[in-house]
Amino acid sequence: MGVGKDKKGSLQVNLGKQKSKNTIIKEETISSQSNKEKVNNSEEPEHHQEEEEEEIASDSESDYQELSDYEDEDYESSGGSESGESNSSGDEGSIDTDNDDGMDSEDQSNDSESDKVAEESDSSEDEVAPRNTIGDVPLKWYEDEKHIGYDITGKKITKKERQDKLESFLASADDSENWRKIYDEYNDEVVELTKEEIKVIRRLVKGKAPHLDFDPYPTYSDWFKWDAKHPLSNAPEPKRRFTPSKWEAKMVVKYVRAIRKGLLKFDKPKEEPRFHLLWGGDSGSAEKAAHLSYIPAPKPKLPGHEESYNPSLEYIPTQEEINSYQLMDEEDRPKFIPKRYTSLRSIPAYENAVKDSFERCLDLYLCPRVRKKRINIDPKSLKPKLPSRKDLKPYPVTCYLEYKGHNGAVMSISTEASGQWIASGSTDGTVRVWEVETGRCLKIWEFGEAVQCVAWSPLHELPILAISVGQDVFVLNTGLGNEVVQKKVKELLHVEMSTPADDSGNKSSSLSWVQDEKHEGIKLRHFRTVSAVEWHRKGDYFCTVMPAGESKAVLIHQLSKKLTQRLPFKLHGLPVSSVFHPTRSVFFVATKKNVRVYDLLKHKLIKKLETGLREVSSIAVHPAGDNVIVGSKEGKLCWFDMDLSSKPYKILKCHPKDITSVVFHRSYPLFASCSDDCTAYVFHGMVYSDLNQNPLIVPLEILRGHSSSNGRGIMDCKFHPRQPWLFTAGADSSIKLYCH
Amino acid sequence: MTRKIKHYRPPGKKKEGNAARFITRSQAVKQLQCSLTLFRKLCILKGIFPREPKKKVKGNHHTYYHVKDIAYLQHEPLLEKFREIRAYQRKIKKALAKKDNDQAIRLQTRQPAPSYDGAILQRYPKFVDALRDLDDCLTMVHLFAVLPASERLKIEVECIHNCRRLSHEWQAYIVRTHKLRKVFVSVKGIYYQAEVEGQKITWLTPHAMQQVLPDDVNYSVMLTFLELYQNLLGFVNFRLYHLINVEYPPILDPQLEALAAGLYALSRYIDARSSMSVEEPKASSSSLPDQFRSQVEVTENEESEIRLAQLQHQLPTNEPGALMHLVQDAEGEDEDDEDTKECKKLFRNMKFFLSREVPRESLLFVIPAFGGVVSWDGDGAPFKEAEQSITHQIVDRPTQGHKYLSREYVQPQWIYDCINARIILPTEAYLVGRIPPPHLSPFVDNEVEGYVPDYAETIKRLQAAARNEVLPILGVGKEDLDDPQNLLVEGYISRTEAIEAAERKQKMEDLEKQHHEELKMELQNLHSSPVSKKIKKSPVKDTESKEESRTDLQQFIEDNERRETLLMPRKKRGLYEAIKKNKERKNAHVNKLKERKKAIEARKSDKN
Repeated sequence: MGVGKDKKGSLQVNLGKQKSKNTIIKEETISSQSNKEKVNNSEEPEHHQEEEEEEIASDSESDYQELSDYEDEDYESSGGSESGESNSSGDEGSIDTDNDDGMDSEDQSNDSESDKVAEESDSSEDEVAPRNTIGDVPLKWYEDEKHIGYDITGKKITKKERQDKLESFLASADDSENWRKIYDEYNDEVVELTKEEIKVIRRLVKGKAPHLDFDPYPTYSDWFKWDAKHPLSNAPEPKRRFTPSKWEAKMVVKYVRAIRKGLLKFDKPKEEPRFHLLWGGDSGSAEKAAHLSYIPAPKPKLPGHEESYNPSLEYIPTQEEINSYQLMDEEDRPKFIPKRYTSLRSIPAYENAVKDSFERCLDLYLCPRVRKKRINIDPKSLKPKLPSRKDLKPYPVTCYLEYKGHNGAVMSISTEASGQWIASGSTDGTVRVWEVETGRCLKIWEFGEAVQCVAWSPLHELPILAISVGQDVFVLNTGLGNEVVQKKVKELLHVEMSTPADDSGNKSSSLSWVQDEKHEGIKLRHFRTVSAVEWHRKGDYFCTVMPAGESKAVLIHQLSKKLTQRLPFKLHGLPVSSVFHPTRSVFFVATKKNVRVYDLLKHKLIKKLETGLREVSSIAVHPAGDNVIVGSKEGKLCWFDMDLSSKPYKILKCHPKDITSVVFHRSYPLFASCSDDCTAYVFHGMVYSDLNQNPLIVPLEILRGHSSSNGRGIMDCKFHPRQPWLFTAGADSSIKLYCH
Repeated sequence: MTRKIKHYRPPGKKKEGNAARFITRSQAVKQLQCSLTLFRKLCILKGIFPREPKKKVKGNHHTYYHVKDIAYLQHEPLLEKFREIRAYQRKIKKALAKKDNDQAIRLQTRQPAPSYDGAILQRYPKFVDALRDLDDCLTMVHLFAVLPASERLKIEVECIHNCRRLSHEWQAYIVRTHKLRKVFVSVKGIYYQAEVEGQKITWLTPHAMQQVLPDDVNYSVMLTFLELYQNLLGFVNFRLYHLINVEYPPILDPQLEALAAGLYALSRYIDARSSMSVEEPKASSSSLPDQFRSQVEVTENEESEIRLAQLQHQLPTNEPGALMHLVQDAEGEDEDDEDTKECKKLFRNMKFFLSREVPRESLLFVIPAFGGVVSWDGDGAPFKEAEQSITHQIVDRPTQGHKYLSREYVQPQWIYDCINARIILPTEAYLVGRIPPPHLSPFVDNEVEGYVPDYAETIKRLQAAARNEVLPILGVGKEDLDDPQNLLVEGYISRTEAIEAAERKQKMEDLEKQHHEELKMELQNLHSSPVSKKIKKSPVKDTESKEESRTDLQQFIEDNERRETLLMPRKKRGLYEAIKKNKERKNAHVNKLKERKKAIEARKSDKN
């Protein structure tokens, strides 16, 4: 506040000066007023006197005197008014008025002299009495009378005795003063002129102004400049001009009282030292009040090398870079462009100095402050601690074999239980059986329609293949194995012609078991497209999934009895895939959103697994049966621990595109997912028998090698039943084997 | 089924949580029953800022204040005072409207003025707190010290003068106690950093040019800040002067002040006062006329005599404690920390003369702060240009006509660079007419930044040389720092340092090697898996294999990364990504610098 107070101090001085000046002015005005009053008061009697003079003049008989008197009077009045006005004009001061007063008094004395003359001429004591009162009538009327008129009491004024001419001549010759005597016919008396009167007459004769002091050429005074009454107004001076103001008196009393009480002070307030020792003890005596935590504002950023007036050359952007800033978004554009000045004297003023400061001010009082911890972590510490990959070997690492022969995308593959053979189905309408070790194609079936799914029977002694093609499901004899096996298989795959009628009558009219002569197997004609075929572990049952099949979407077939039954549960949503439990009589059905787990013996729903995914694409069950993985079309993979909860234990977002298939290894703690982005992930998925221990999931390897065609990548993947090898079927019509 | 309304609050029950703890600005203004401008002013003076509640009950576009903050304001004496002032202003207005000038003037002379000491003490309960928050204060005061006064914007002349005075007082203290540490001449102005009571205080002074007052700035807000800052700086200065036993406010020689050498006048005053207090009373009284004789001679008018009388009058207050001060001062000398001692000595035994064209204010502040003696071209200067003992003349012009052989003519940047390096740099590069070497910011940690400019290296070398008292050989400075052994031979780095550096380097190398080996091993694993050895689908050419292996390596690293981040929880993964992004940005910046440098060098070599 230093400035404020200082300012005030100086201001006060100024005001003080002004005030004193003002008071002076006021005094002046007061004095002038009083003068004016005085003048007014003095003027009052003057008026009377003037009237008297008039009377006197009327008494006297000399015309000449009358004339002179008039002159006098005129002058008097004009002088009076002049003095009054000059008084009211204020500044001209009291001297003028004094002068005027003096003149007035002179005039008065003049008048009194003339009075004396009149007295001399008239014997009576009374001044008024000898005056003739006849008025302005021709004296001719009184020529014959003895008197010349009447005095104020009504008595006749008798004529004086006429001296004869000789006598009067002699008297005049004797009297040296005779030349200044004039006979006043009207009053019948002789008037002796005074020196002054003679002077006036002389001046008149000369054609000058009668009065000596009259200035015919006065210096012009501007009436309007002085804020005065216009001199042209002839209005009489109002009374309020010369009576003391009641309100002023009241105000004066008020001021006096205020001063006495100390309410009004005229002296300057004392200047106190503005600063004192604020932090005197500084021992923390002024404890911070128990208040909200104060968050100090962050300090402004310190300047770097680039803000120097003479930075290193590399800090200065090139012209192209500066031009490119113009193309940038307003917010991305750098706020400060480094510039180089070769000497200190050439630095110009920084045009944003005030603005920067202002913005800092705004930040200080308008920005919400939040205390944030600056995270200073080594990013490596954020990574979860995982066991080394070396300890988790073996797992598939590199592409070892490629099976080529298909002409279209390979939709599905399946490994035989012994691990010697794999079967693959493709969109070119063929199913091939390959020898794993050599890559030799053993057998080809042609269906003329895209093959959706192939599945080996899980029994080694029954080399049967289930294939879904469009609406049909074929159960084929692969022709592998010795003769005993072949005989058994052929027996199993023989269908009586009568059975389909029975079956259709009993259970599902739309389904028929038909002997297919061409492919040496059984053909099951479904009423909708079959998308998936899955075997039960015992090789007698298999299930088929028709997504569009509504209530009969999931069917379970029994091979030995050639029997088909639908799932005796209401399905919520579109079924996508279904799996048998590896050990128990439990059945998993994956719909688009959820996975439902049914007990087939007890005919009831055991559990509903909520995936939270947008669209489930595949499902696989851990060989122990308590863990399930679900792949989705948004590339997420969910691991469910069935004992833990119905929510996923872990969600892995591993693929950027759809997951097409997920699979568990039968004996190794491995699982894999393959996707349309042409990669397959191999994970270590250890499940402990100890229920308290959560399953351990470690990503092991990302397998690449397939190329995408028509936006599809890897369509299916399967583990080798005994080796830690992974087969992948690609949309690029190749099958690859990844080994450890 | 009846649905439960989520946020239903039964009547009569109080609000809870964020709804109870935070109120919007308009609510706050309503509660305080004041205008928005007054509210703003209070917030500025009391240091109250909006908060960010976790849940914004009234909506996202509101500003929220804590209820306690507002309740705190409600009992604020300043609020009462401002109300009183408002009422008082009305009285004046009324008097003026009634043309009662007498009354108006009388009222104006004794206006109530708010006192900020309470607010300041509350905001900064300890002196250290005030020092910690002094950055903005100093910057603002220094800015206003050079702004033009403007009636339209209500920037008063007194205010500007006061700012100038306060800034000079602050600078005088810094000079006297040698607290200045770093100076940086930037395009925006000159940054100074001082260390007072362990607090690093940085402030910016604009260049001594005509400043423009832009229109898109709300000056009333700035002036409110300035009002607070002026008071704060006044109190801080008082305390600091008190600490060095100098009376506050100082009374200055008007003649020197008029010559725009206010700082010099102040320094002289402080020197005189504190030296007086150190000396024994008798000596001081006798030496006093000597101290001020020069002033008297210079001014030779009554005014300064009056001032002298005032000074003499003030003297006795200091006399009783003079001996005590002596002791204290002696201790104080010892108490100076290493830094201060170093700074004090930097320009010792050097005499500087400033030419007309150099920034006088800045250099008059800086040179004495580092122990130098300085004079300038103009009236009131302590010594003239012809003085023989001058060692350096600071010049900033293309050519210098008449040269004294006894002194060196250097550009002002030399001073600043010397200060930042804390050594006397060779003057060759800074001679008249040359383009000086780049001026580097002392506030940057080059190691952290990841890029070390050339000149920083050179300075580092010179510093090391100065520490060992070995003169640097010019030209050697361009060599690489990589081999510490080499440097050791030349005596640039002390032995321990060299060992440390070598160790560090060894460690780094080891780590790097290890990492590379690991990568290689894994790669080999990948390739040398038993199956792949058996069969190779296609024979690969040698030339291709190299490229492939490189891309493979990249792929491998990427895959590794991917595998590691796969199992991270979402929160951590986000953080991890952010850190990575930040690092990349930093690297990109450094790379850009390196690229530009390369281009510049290429251009240079092309020319040659």
